[in-house]
Amino acid sequence: MEAEVKDQLVSIEKPGLIAPPNWEPVIMGILCNWCSYAGSDLTGTSRIQYPPNIRIIRVPCSSRVDPWFLIKSLQTTADGVLVSGCHPGDCHYISGNYYARRRFLVTKKLLNFVGYHENRVQFSWVSAAEGPKFAKVVAKVTDDIKKLGPLHLYKKENFEKK
Amino acid sequence: MNYTKQIQEIAAKLFAEDKIDVFVGYRMNGFDDNQVPVLITGVNEIPKLVFTDKSVFNLVNYLKPDHTRRKRVGLVVKGCDSRSLNLMLTESQVKRENLYVVGIACEGVTDDAGQKMQNCTDCMVPDAVVFDEMLGTPSGSQPAAYKANADVTALAAMPLPERAAYFEEVFANCIRCNACRHSCPLCYCAKCCIDQETSTLYNGANTTSAAFHALMTWSLHLAGRCVDCRNCEKACPSHLPLHLLHKQNESVIYENFQEHLAGVISEDRGAFYKYSLKDPDDFIM
Repeated sequence: MEAEVKDQLVSIEKPGLIAPPNWEPVIMGILCNWCSYAGSDLTGTSRIQYPPNIRIIRVPCSSRVDPWFLIKSLQTTADGVLVSGCHPGDCHYISGNYYARRRFLVTKKLLNFVGYHENRVQFSWVSAAEGPKFAKVVAKVTDDIKKLGPLHLYKKENFEKK
Repeated sequence: MNYTKQIQEIAAKLFAEDKIDVFVGYRMNGFDDNQVPVLITGVNEIPKLVFTDKSVFNLVNYLKPDHTRRKRVGLVVKGCDSRSLNLMLTESQVKRENLYVVGIACEGVTDDAGQKMQNCTDCMVPDAVVFDEMLGTPSGSQPAAYKANADVTALAAMPLPERAAYFEEVFANCIRCNACRHSCPLCYCAKCCIDQETSTLYNGANTTSAAFHALMTWSLHLAGRCVDCRNCEKACPSHLPLHLLHKQNESVIYENFQEHLAGVISEDRGAFYKYSLKDPDDFIM
Protein backbone atom coordinates (compact mmCIF):
# COMPACT_ATOMS: atom_id res chain seq x y z
CA MET A 1 0.00 0.00 0.00
CA GLU A 2 2.75 2.43 0.98
CA ALA A 3 4.72 1.71 -2.16
CA GLU A 4 1.63 2.55 -4.17
CA VAL A 5 1.35 5.93 -2.48
CA LYS A 6 4.99 6.66 -3.25
CA ASP A 7 4.46 5.98 -6.93
CA GLN A 8 1.64 8.48 -7.12
CA LEU A 9 2.53 11.80 -8.67
CA VAL A 10 2.13 14.77 -6.34
CA SER A 11 1.98 18.42 -7.23
CA ILE A 12 5.37 19.89 -6.33
CA GLU A 13 3.99 23.20 -5.07
CA LYS A 14 1.30 21.47 -2.99
CA PRO A 15 2.69 18.11 -1.93
CA GLY A 16 -0.68 17.07 -0.44
CA LEU A 17 -2.39 16.95 -3.82
CA ILE A 18 -2.06 13.85 -5.96
CA ALA A 19 -2.38 13.64 -9.73
CA PRO A 20 -5.21 11.57 -11.20
CA PRO A 21 -4.14 8.34 -12.95
CA ASN A 22 -2.92 8.76 -16.53
CA TRP A 23 -2.56 12.49 -15.98
CA GLU A 24 -1.03 14.35 -18.92
CA PRO A 25 0.24 17.90 -18.59
CA VAL A 26 -1.03 20.74 -20.75
CA ILE A 27 1.72 23.04 -21.96
CA MET A 28 1.11 26.44 -23.45
CA GLY A 29 3.58 27.07 -26.28
CA ILE A 30 3.95 30.72 -27.23
CA LEU A 31 6.05 30.81 -30.41
CA CYS A 32 7.40 33.68 -32.44
CA ASN A 33 6.08 33.81 -35.99
CA TRP A 34 9.42 34.14 -37.77
CA CYS A 35 11.62 31.48 -36.18
CA SER A 36 10.05 29.14 -33.66
CA TYR A 37 6.68 28.80 -35.36
CA ALA A 38 8.42 28.04 -38.65
CA GLY A 39 10.71 25.67 -36.74
CA SER A 40 7.73 23.81 -35.29
CA ASP A 41 6.27 23.68 -38.79
CA LEU A 42 9.51 22.11 -40.01
CA THR A 43 9.31 19.55 -37.22
CA GLY A 44 5.92 18.54 -38.53
CA THR A 45 6.83 18.46 -42.20
CA SER A 46 9.98 16.47 -41.36
CA ARG A 47 7.72 13.90 -39.63
CA ILE A 48 9.58 14.19 -36.34
CA GLN A 49 7.50 13.01 -33.39
CA TYR A 50 7.05 15.30 -30.40
CA PRO A 51 4.72 15.10 -27.40
CA PRO A 52 1.17 16.25 -28.16
CA ASN A 53 0.87 18.04 -24.79
CA ILE A 54 1.85 21.40 -26.23
CA ARG A 55 -0.83 23.88 -27.38
CA ILE A 56 0.72 26.43 -29.68
CA ILE A 57 -0.08 30.11 -29.91
CA ARG A 58 1.62 32.20 -32.59
CA VAL A 59 2.80 35.70 -31.74
CA PRO A 60 4.54 38.19 -34.05
CA CYS A 61 7.71 38.34 -31.94
CA SER A 62 8.91 37.02 -28.59
CA SER A 63 8.81 40.60 -27.30
CA ARG A 64 5.05 40.56 -27.96
CA VAL A 65 4.83 38.25 -24.97
CA ASP A 66 3.61 40.27 -22.01
CA PRO A 67 4.29 38.59 -18.63
CA TRP A 68 0.52 38.78 -18.36
CA PHE A 69 0.22 35.99 -20.96
CA LEU A 70 2.19 33.63 -18.75
CA ILE A 71 0.17 34.56 -15.69
CA LYS A 72 -3.11 34.00 -17.51
CA SER A 73 -1.95 30.68 -18.97
CA LEU A 74 -0.91 29.38 -15.56
CA GLN A 75 -4.19 30.60 -14.06
CA THR A 76 -6.29 28.65 -16.55
CA THR A 77 -5.52 25.38 -18.30
CA ALA A 78 -1.75 25.20 -18.46
CA ASP A 79 0.52 23.20 -16.17
CA GLY A 80 3.52 24.84 -17.76
CA VAL A 81 4.49 27.41 -20.36
CA LEU A 82 7.11 27.35 -23.09
CA VAL A 83 8.01 30.62 -24.76
CA SER A 84 10.20 30.39 -27.81
CA GLY A 85 11.72 32.98 -30.10
CA CYS A 86 14.53 33.67 -32.54
CA HIS A 87 18.14 33.25 -31.52
CA PRO A 88 19.82 36.46 -30.31
CA GLY A 89 20.81 38.45 -33.39
CA ASP A 90 18.24 36.73 -35.63
CA CYS A 91 15.17 38.73 -34.62
CA HIS A 92 13.03 39.79 -37.57
CA TYR A 93 12.54 43.11 -35.80
CA ILE A 94 16.28 43.43 -35.06
CA SER A 95 16.17 43.60 -31.27
CA GLY A 96 12.80 42.28 -30.07
CA ASN A 97 14.19 39.16 -28.47
CA TYR A 98 16.81 41.13 -26.52
CA TYR A 99 14.05 43.15 -24.87
CA ALA A 100 12.06 39.95 -24.32
CA ARG A 101 15.02 38.21 -22.70
CA ARG A 102 15.12 40.72 -19.85
CA ARG A 103 11.40 40.42 -19.24
CA PHE A 104 11.56 36.62 -19.30
CA LEU A 105 14.20 36.48 -16.60
CA VAL A 106 12.32 38.83 -14.27
CA THR A 107 9.02 37.02 -14.89
CA LYS A 108 10.56 33.61 -14.30
CA LYS A 109 12.20 34.73 -11.06
CA LEU A 110 9.04 36.40 -9.79
CA LEU A 111 6.88 33.35 -10.55
CA ASN A 112 9.44 31.21 -8.76
CA PHE A 113 9.38 33.67 -5.86
CA VAL A 114 5.61 33.38 -5.36
CA GLY A 115 5.78 29.59 -5.37
CA TYR A 116 5.97 28.15 -8.87
CA HIS A 117 8.71 25.63 -9.58
CA GLU A 118 11.27 27.21 -11.89
CA ASN A 119 10.61 24.56 -14.58
CA ARG A 120 6.96 25.56 -14.92
CA VAL A 121 7.96 28.44 -17.16
CA GLN A 122 10.64 27.74 -19.73
CA PHE A 123 12.18 29.64 -22.58
CA SER A 124 14.04 28.59 -25.68
CA TRP A 125 15.57 29.99 -28.84
CA VAL A 126 14.58 27.88 -31.86
CA SER A 127 15.34 29.00 -35.39
CA ALA A 128 13.29 28.17 -38.49
CA ALA A 129 15.87 25.52 -39.48
CA GLU A 130 15.90 23.72 -36.11
CA GLY A 131 13.06 21.24 -36.48
CA PRO A 132 14.81 18.48 -34.48
CA LYS A 133 15.73 20.98 -31.77
CA PHE A 134 12.09 22.02 -31.40
CA ALA A 135 11.07 18.39 -30.92
CA LYS A 136 13.80 17.99 -28.29
CA VAL A 137 12.76 21.17 -26.48
CA VAL A 138 9.10 20.12 -26.33
CA ALA A 139 10.09 16.65 -25.14
CA LYS A 140 12.27 18.12 -22.42
CA VAL A 141 9.63 20.60 -21.23
CA THR A 142 6.94 17.92 -21.20
CA ASP A 143 9.24 15.59 -19.30
CA ASP A 144 10.11 18.32 -16.75
CA ILE A 145 6.50 19.18 -16.12
CA LYS A 146 5.45 15.53 -15.87
CA LYS A 147 7.93 15.25 -13.00
CA LEU A 148 6.45 18.32 -11.27
CA GLY A 149 2.88 17.03 -11.31
CA PRO A 150 -0.29 19.00 -12.00
CA LEU A 151 -0.36 22.69 -11.19
CA HIS A 152 -2.75 23.65 -8.43
CA LEU A 153 -1.60 27.16 -7.57
CA TYR A 154 -3.96 30.10 -8.10
CA LYS A 155 -6.14 28.29 -10.64
CA LYS A 156 -9.41 29.92 -11.52
CA GLU A 157 -12.18 27.88 -9.96
CA ASN A 158 -13.56 26.52 -13.19
CA PHE A 159 -10.06 25.39 -14.22
CA GLU A 160 -9.15 23.69 -10.95
CA LYS A 161 -8.77 19.97 -11.60
CA LYS A 162 -10.70 17.92 -9.09
CA MET B 1 13.10 66.91 10.08
CA ASN B 2 10.58 69.77 10.21
CA TYR B 3 10.20 72.03 7.19
CA THR B 4 6.67 73.30 7.93
CA LYS B 5 7.68 76.96 8.10
CA GLN B 6 9.82 76.93 4.97
CA ILE B 7 7.13 75.15 2.93
CA GLN B 8 4.44 77.60 4.06
CA GLU B 9 6.72 80.51 3.06
CA ILE B 10 7.43 78.97 -0.34
CA ALA B 11 3.74 78.32 -0.99
CA ALA B 12 2.83 81.90 -0.01
CA LYS B 13 5.55 83.24 -2.29
CA LEU B 14 4.40 81.09 -5.23
CA PHE B 15 0.77 82.16 -4.85
CA ALA B 16 1.83 85.82 -4.49
CA GLU B 17 3.88 85.64 -7.70
CA ASP B 18 1.03 83.76 -9.43
CA LYS B 19 3.35 80.91 -10.38
CA ILE B 20 1.02 78.08 -9.42
CA ASP B 21 -2.70 77.26 -9.38
CA VAL B 22 -2.51 74.55 -6.77
CA PHE B 23 0.00 73.47 -4.14
CA VAL B 24 0.17 69.83 -3.12
CA GLY B 25 1.42 69.25 0.39
CA TYR B 26 0.59 67.55 3.65
CA ARG B 27 -1.80 68.54 6.44
CA MET B 28 -2.58 67.00 9.82
CA ASN B 29 -5.43 64.51 9.49
CA GLY B 30 -7.28 66.14 12.39
CA PHE B 31 -7.58 63.30 14.88
CA ASP B 32 -4.07 61.97 15.54
CA ASP B 33 -0.53 62.98 14.67
CA ASN B 34 -0.58 61.38 11.22
CA GLN B 35 -0.80 63.38 8.04
CA VAL B 36 -2.77 63.26 4.81
CA PRO B 37 -2.14 64.93 1.45
CA VAL B 38 -3.87 68.24 0.78
CA LEU B 39 -4.40 70.26 -2.41
CA ILE B 40 -4.28 73.97 -1.63
CA THR B 41 -5.73 76.48 -4.08
CA GLY B 42 -5.49 79.77 -2.20
CA VAL B 43 -3.38 81.76 0.24
CA ASN B 44 -5.90 81.46 3.07
CA GLU B 45 -5.38 77.69 3.21
CA ILE B 46 -1.61 77.86 3.59
CA PRO B 47 -1.53 77.49 7.42
CA LYS B 48 -2.77 73.93 6.90
CA LEU B 49 0.56 72.88 5.35
CA VAL B 50 2.98 70.85 7.42
CA PHE B 51 6.05 68.77 6.78
CA THR B 52 7.58 66.53 9.43
CA ASP B 53 8.85 62.97 9.48
CA LYS B 54 5.21 61.83 9.44
CA SER B 55 4.84 63.07 5.85
CA VAL B 56 4.84 59.61 4.39
CA PHE B 57 2.73 59.79 1.23
CA ASN B 58 4.05 60.23 -2.29
CA LEU B 59 2.48 63.44 -3.61
CA VAL B 60 3.54 62.77 -7.20
CA ASN B 61 0.39 60.63 -7.35
CA TYR B 62 -1.59 63.90 -7.44
CA LEU B 63 -0.02 64.86 -10.77
CA LYS B 64 -2.19 62.26 -12.46
CA PRO B 65 -4.84 63.78 -14.77
CA ASP B 66 -7.71 63.17 -12.34
CA HIS B 67 -6.37 65.66 -9.86
CA THR B 68 -4.38 68.46 -11.43
CA ARG B 69 -4.95 68.35 -15.18
CA ARG B 70 -3.69 71.44 -17.04
CA LYS B 71 -2.84 73.21 -13.82
CA ARG B 72 0.41 74.73 -12.65
CA VAL B 73 1.34 72.73 -9.60
CA GLY B 74 3.71 73.24 -6.73
CA LEU B 75 4.57 70.16 -4.75
CA VAL B 76 6.85 68.72 -2.12
CA VAL B 77 8.96 65.68 -2.98
CA LYS B 78 11.23 63.49 -0.92
CA GLY B 79 14.00 61.41 -2.49
CA CYS B 80 11.84 58.46 -3.55
CA ASP B 81 8.99 60.72 -4.69
CA SER B 82 11.34 62.72 -6.86
CA ARG B 83 12.43 59.53 -8.61
CA SER B 84 8.83 58.74 -9.50
CA LEU B 85 8.43 62.33 -10.67
CA ASN B 86 11.50 61.85 -12.83
CA LEU B 87 9.91 58.79 -14.42
CA MET B 88 6.61 60.62 -14.99
CA LEU B 89 8.52 63.42 -16.70
CA THR B 90 10.46 60.95 -18.83
CA GLU B 91 7.25 59.15 -19.78
CA SER B 92 5.70 62.50 -20.83
CA GLN B 93 2.92 62.41 -18.26
CA VAL B 94 3.59 65.89 -16.85
CA LYS B 95 5.26 68.99 -18.18
CA ARG B 96 8.23 70.27 -16.23
CA GLU B 97 7.36 73.92 -16.94
CA ASN B 98 4.01 73.45 -15.17
CA LEU B 99 5.68 72.31 -11.98
CA TYR B 100 7.41 74.01 -9.10
CA VAL B 101 9.15 71.29 -7.16
CA VAL B 102 10.26 71.69 -3.56
CA GLY B 103 12.85 68.98 -3.02
CA ILE B 104 13.63 67.62 0.42
CA ALA B 105 16.94 66.20 1.58
CA CYS B 106 15.06 63.43 3.33
CA GLU B 107 16.17 61.92 6.61
CA GLY B 108 13.56 59.18 6.50
CA VAL B 109 9.91 59.09 7.49
CA THR B 110 8.24 57.07 10.21
CA ASP B 111 5.31 54.68 10.23
CA ASP B 112 2.32 54.71 12.60
CA ALA B 113 4.36 53.12 15.39
CA GLY B 114 7.00 55.86 15.19
CA GLN B 115 9.62 53.51 13.75
CA LYS B 116 11.61 54.54 10.72
CA MET B 117 10.08 52.88 7.67
CA GLN B 118 11.96 49.94 6.18
CA ASN B 119 12.44 51.62 2.80
CA CYS B 120 13.95 54.62 4.62
CA THR B 121 16.48 52.58 6.56
CA ASP B 122 17.47 50.89 3.27
CA CYS B 123 17.22 54.13 1.27
CA MET B 124 19.94 54.65 -1.33
CA VAL B 125 18.77 57.99 -2.76
CA PRO B 126 17.58 60.19 0.15
CA ASP B 127 17.97 63.53 -1.64
CA ALA B 128 15.46 64.75 -4.20
CA VAL B 129 16.83 64.35 -7.73
CA VAL B 130 14.38 66.81 -9.37
CA PHE B 131 13.81 70.15 -7.66
CA ASP B 132 13.55 73.91 -8.12
CA GLU B 133 14.37 74.53 -4.52
CA MET B 134 16.04 72.27 -2.00
CA LEU B 135 15.24 72.16 1.71
CA GLY B 136 17.70 70.64 4.15
CA THR B 137 21.30 69.71 3.59
CA PRO B 138 21.84 67.17 0.82
CA SER B 139 23.93 64.26 2.03
CA GLY B 140 25.83 64.46 -1.24
CA SER B 141 26.90 60.85 -0.86
CA GLN B 142 26.96 58.57 -3.86
CA PRO B 143 24.38 55.77 -3.78
CA ALA B 144 25.78 52.95 -1.68
CA ALA B 145 26.10 49.42 -3.00
CA TYR B 146 22.79 47.67 -3.60
CA LYS B 147 21.40 46.09 -0.48
CA ALA B 148 18.94 43.24 -1.01
CA ASN B 149 15.72 43.51 0.96
CA ALA B 150 15.89 41.37 4.10
CA ASP B 151 12.29 40.10 3.75
CA VAL B 152 12.90 39.03 0.16
CA THR B 153 16.11 37.21 1.06
CA ALA B 154 14.42 35.42 3.95
CA LEU B 155 11.49 34.30 1.78
CA ALA B 156 13.73 33.20 -1.09
CA ALA B 157 15.55 30.89 1.32
CA MET B 158 12.30 29.12 2.26
CA PRO B 159 11.40 25.79 0.60
CA LEU B 160 9.07 26.07 -2.36
CA PRO B 161 5.83 24.65 -0.87
CA GLU B 162 6.15 26.91 2.20
CA ARG B 163 6.71 29.95 0.02
CA ALA B 164 3.72 28.99 -2.11
CA ALA B 165 1.59 28.67 1.03
CA TYR B 166 2.81 32.05 2.31
CA PHE B 167 1.94 33.84 -0.92
CA GLU B 168 -1.36 32.02 -1.23
CA GLU B 169 -2.35 33.61 2.06
CA VAL B 170 -1.13 37.01 0.90
CA PHE B 171 -3.20 36.84 -2.28
CA ALA B 172 -6.18 35.39 -0.40
CA ASN B 173 -6.24 38.46 1.86
CA CYS B 174 -6.46 40.87 -1.07
CA ILE B 175 -9.90 42.45 -1.37
CA ARG B 176 -9.27 43.77 -4.90
CA CYS B 177 -10.02 47.37 -4.02
CA ASN B 178 -7.27 48.47 -6.44
CA ALA B 179 -6.01 51.04 -3.93
CA CYS B 180 -2.46 49.92 -4.74
CA ARG B 181 -3.00 50.83 -8.36
CA HIS B 182 -4.67 54.15 -7.63
CA SER B 183 -2.02 55.17 -5.12
CA CYS B 184 0.88 54.40 -7.47
CA PRO B 185 2.17 57.47 -9.30
CA LEU B 186 3.37 55.30 -12.17
CA CYS B 187 0.03 53.52 -12.72
CA TYR B 188 -1.50 56.22 -14.87
CA CYS B 189 -2.97 54.22 -17.79
CA ALA B 190 -6.50 55.39 -18.58
CA LYS B 191 -7.52 51.79 -19.09
CA CYS B 192 -5.74 49.06 -17.15
CA CYS B 193 -5.29 45.59 -18.61
CA ILE B 194 -6.12 44.10 -15.20
CA ASP B 195 -9.69 45.37 -15.63
CA GLN B 196 -10.24 43.19 -18.69
CA GLU B 197 -10.69 40.40 -16.19
CA THR B 198 -13.63 42.20 -14.58
CA SER B 199 -15.56 42.38 -17.84
CA THR B 200 -17.65 39.40 -16.80
CA LEU B 201 -19.26 38.84 -13.46
CA TYR B 202 -17.40 35.61 -12.84
CA ASN B 203 -13.92 36.97 -13.51
CA GLY B 204 -14.65 40.04 -11.46
CA ALA B 205 -15.23 37.87 -8.42
CA ASN B 206 -12.83 38.37 -5.57
CA THR B 207 -10.96 35.09 -5.60
CA THR B 208 -7.37 34.29 -4.69
CA SER B 209 -6.76 33.59 -8.35
CA ALA B 210 -8.08 37.00 -9.41
CA ALA B 211 -5.93 38.72 -6.79
CA PHE B 212 -2.90 36.77 -7.95
CA HIS B 213 -3.58 37.83 -11.52
CA ALA B 214 -4.07 41.48 -10.60
CA LEU B 215 -1.10 41.87 -8.25
CA MET B 216 1.36 39.88 -10.36
CA THR B 217 0.45 41.70 -13.56
CA TRP B 218 0.62 45.00 -11.74
CA SER B 219 4.03 44.33 -10.22
CA LEU B 220 5.47 43.04 -13.51
CA HIS B 221 4.24 46.13 -15.34
CA LEU B 222 6.01 48.21 -12.70
CA ALA B 223 9.22 46.17 -12.82
CA GLY B 224 12.20 48.40 -13.52
CA ARG B 225 10.10 51.47 -12.75
CA CYS B 226 9.09 51.01 -9.12
CA VAL B 227 10.88 53.51 -6.91
CA ASP B 228 10.00 51.82 -3.61
CA CYS B 229 8.03 54.75 -2.18
CA ARG B 230 5.61 52.21 -0.63
CA ASN B 231 2.54 54.30 -1.37
CA CYS B 232 0.79 51.05 -2.33
CA GLU B 233 1.53 49.46 1.02
CA LYS B 234 0.37 52.52 2.92
CA ALA B 235 -2.86 52.52 0.90
CA CYS B 236 -3.53 48.81 1.24
CA PRO B 237 -6.45 48.21 3.65
CA SER B 238 -5.41 44.56 4.08
CA HIS B 239 -1.79 45.48 4.89
CA LEU B 240 -0.41 43.13 2.24
CA PRO B 241 3.41 43.03 1.96
CA LEU B 242 3.33 44.38 -1.59
CA HIS B 243 6.94 45.52 -1.42
CA LEU B 244 8.02 41.87 -1.62
CA LEU B 245 7.00 41.62 -5.28
CA HIS B 246 8.58 44.93 -6.21
CA LYS B 247 11.80 44.37 -4.31
CA GLN B 248 12.16 40.90 -5.80
CA ASN B 249 11.92 42.37 -9.33
CA GLU B 250 14.26 45.19 -8.39
CA SER B 251 16.92 42.83 -7.05
CA VAL B 252 16.74 40.59 -10.14
CA ILE B 253 17.11 43.62 -12.39
CA TYR B 254 19.94 45.04 -10.35
CA GLU B 255 21.89 41.80 -10.10
CA ASN B 256 21.44 40.58 -13.66
CA PHE B 257 21.38 43.72 -15.75
CA GLN B 258 23.48 45.99 -13.51
CA GLU B 259 20.80 48.65 -13.86
CA HIS B 260 20.87 51.59 -11.51
CA LEU B 261 17.72 52.32 -9.50
CA ALA B 262 14.65 53.52 -11.40
CA GLY B 263 14.23 57.25 -11.91
CA VAL B 264 17.61 58.38 -10.59
CA ILE B 265 18.82 59.53 -14.01
CA SER B 266 16.44 61.75 -15.96
CA GLU B 267 15.50 60.64 -19.49
CA ASP B 268 16.15 57.04 -18.43
CA ARG B 269 13.07 54.87 -18.95
CA GLY B 270 14.10 51.88 -16.87
CA ALA B 271 15.55 48.45 -17.44
CA PHE B 272 12.89 47.11 -19.83
CA TYR B 273 13.33 49.89 -22.37
CA LYS B 274 16.87 48.87 -23.25
CA TYR B 275 18.99 45.76 -23.54
CA SER B 276 22.55 44.58 -23.52
CA LEU B 277 24.08 41.81 -25.64
CA LYS B 278 25.62 40.51 -22.41
CA ASP B 279 22.31 39.94 -20.62
CA PRO B 280 22.15 36.51 -18.95
CA ASP B 281 21.09 33.81 -21.39
CA ASP B 282 21.77 30.65 -19.41
CA PHE B 283 18.12 30.12 -18.41
CA ILE B 284 17.07 29.85 -22.07
CA MET B 285 17.33 26.51 -23.88
